[in-house]
Amino acid sequence: MTSPPIQAVSLRGVSKRYGPTPALADFSLDIAAGEIVCLLGPNGSGKTTLIRLLSGFLSPTAGVLQVAGFDVQRQPMQARQCIGYAPESAPMYRHMRVGEFLAFMARLRQVPAQQVDEAVARVAGQLALTDKLNAPIPTLSRGYRQRVCIAQALVHEPKLLILDEPSNGLDPRQIIEMRNLIRSLAGRYTVLMSSHILSEVARTADRVVVLLNGRLKGERRVHPDDTDLEDWFLSLA
Amino acid sequence: MKTFLVLTRKELSAALLSPIAYTVAAVFLLVLGYTFTLTLFATKVANLQYIFHQIYVLSILLVPVLTMRAFAEERRNDTLELLLTAPVAEVWIVLSKFVAMLAVMLAIYALSSAYALVLAWVGEPDWGPILMGYATLALLACLLVAVGVLASSLTENQVIAAALSMGLFLMLWFADSVAPMLPGALEPLALNLSLIGHFKPLVTGSVFLSDVMYFISATLVALWLASRRLADR
Repeated sequence: MTSPPIQAVSLRGVSKRYGPTPALADFSLDIAAGEIVCLLGPNGSGKTTLIRLLSGFLSPTAGVLQVAGFDVQRQPMQARQCIGYAPESAPMYRHMRVGEFLAFMARLRQVPAQQVDEAVARVAGQLALTDKLNAPIPTLSRGYRQRVCIAQALVHEPKLLILDEPSNGLDPRQIIEMRNLIRSLAGRYTVLMSSHILSEVARTADRVVVLLNGRLKGERRVHPDDTDLEDWFLSLA
Repeated sequence: MKTFLVLTRKELSAALLSPIAYTVAAVFLLVLGYTFTLTLFATKVANLQYIFHQIYVLSILLVPVLTMRAFAEERRNDTLELLLTAPVAEVWIVLSKFVAMLAVMLAIYALSSAYALVLAWVGEPDWGPILMGYATLALLACLLVAVGVLASSLTENQVIAAALSMGLFLMLWFADSVAPMLPGALEPLALNLSLIGHFKPLVTGSVFLSDVMYFISATLVALWLASRRLADR
């Protein structure tokens, strides 16, 4: 008899309250390795709270969160080592250049010193940033900032990539590039992303999870030709 | 430890690439140079006691400007989210900011040693009290920077962080003045919290372990609280 495979992500009964206000209630979810899962829901539905709980930025009021078998609360260092996280606002240090920032994040995420340059070159190639490595961060466009933010999340080759609203603020061409980029990561990484753009979800994710008022309302597998996703979402809402 | 060095290097480069450290250093040295020149001409005595007290006052006014960005800016720019989701213990994040800001303050203090060299050129200063004075200033910088970092960890607004730390410094400074007005057990407590009450004996060469411990323990408590503040989320 064999034990069940370790899920890339396992959430059990996760709740989060901000004072008396519940942001997430009794949420459970499993994500298999290599899967791209999208959290879908309107603003304030609890997507960012869930992502922040999983990344370790927030602590849950109740429940257990595991990444690659590591408990995010009890084994935070091991769990965080398995996670690459790109927050919605694409934060970065304005006094740095792109290459310097990526090298800093690589060192922070315990990439061995002799492999830092190699890791930076790898993610720069993956995200088409090679010619931007010497660019000062304040000079980057919104699209490039998103790329750099995803590059910093990938620089230590995490098992789980978490992307909070990666298409937010991008123009239509950049949205298509971002979608292709995320699809190109399929299989190599487990991806958990959030979005409130329905059409993007079907084209990017393998599975969609709908959150409303901090609760799981439904989930289904999706594919680019999905025609009834909108009706399904509206029926849940 | 390796992560601590990576973080400290980042903090130092951020501090040295920002105009704030240079502005603080310029104001500090300008005011001090003016005071030093006046004092030297007025007293014709080759010691820096008066200068050390000036540095005490200037530090209380200028350290909040230096430390206000520590966490407030990280919060405002959301970069704190990057640090706190990396495999790094909160204590290293706090310590790296503390060490970087302390290094900047100590560098500014070191620049003021030019006045000691002027004294050596025009007279024969007693080097013992001067070295003791600088050692006391180092302890003062530890306490002020640690409290400044703590204040910055409490808010995302830099102005509030600066006002908060300056308020705390002034409360510590004047603790002995309000002590006689306080009832019973609170009076000795206020006296023991007094910043100037522990600074003055040390800077004048009277070394008591209690004074040294005051600076060290206040520094550690402030850093621990800042670390707890980051961990509490």
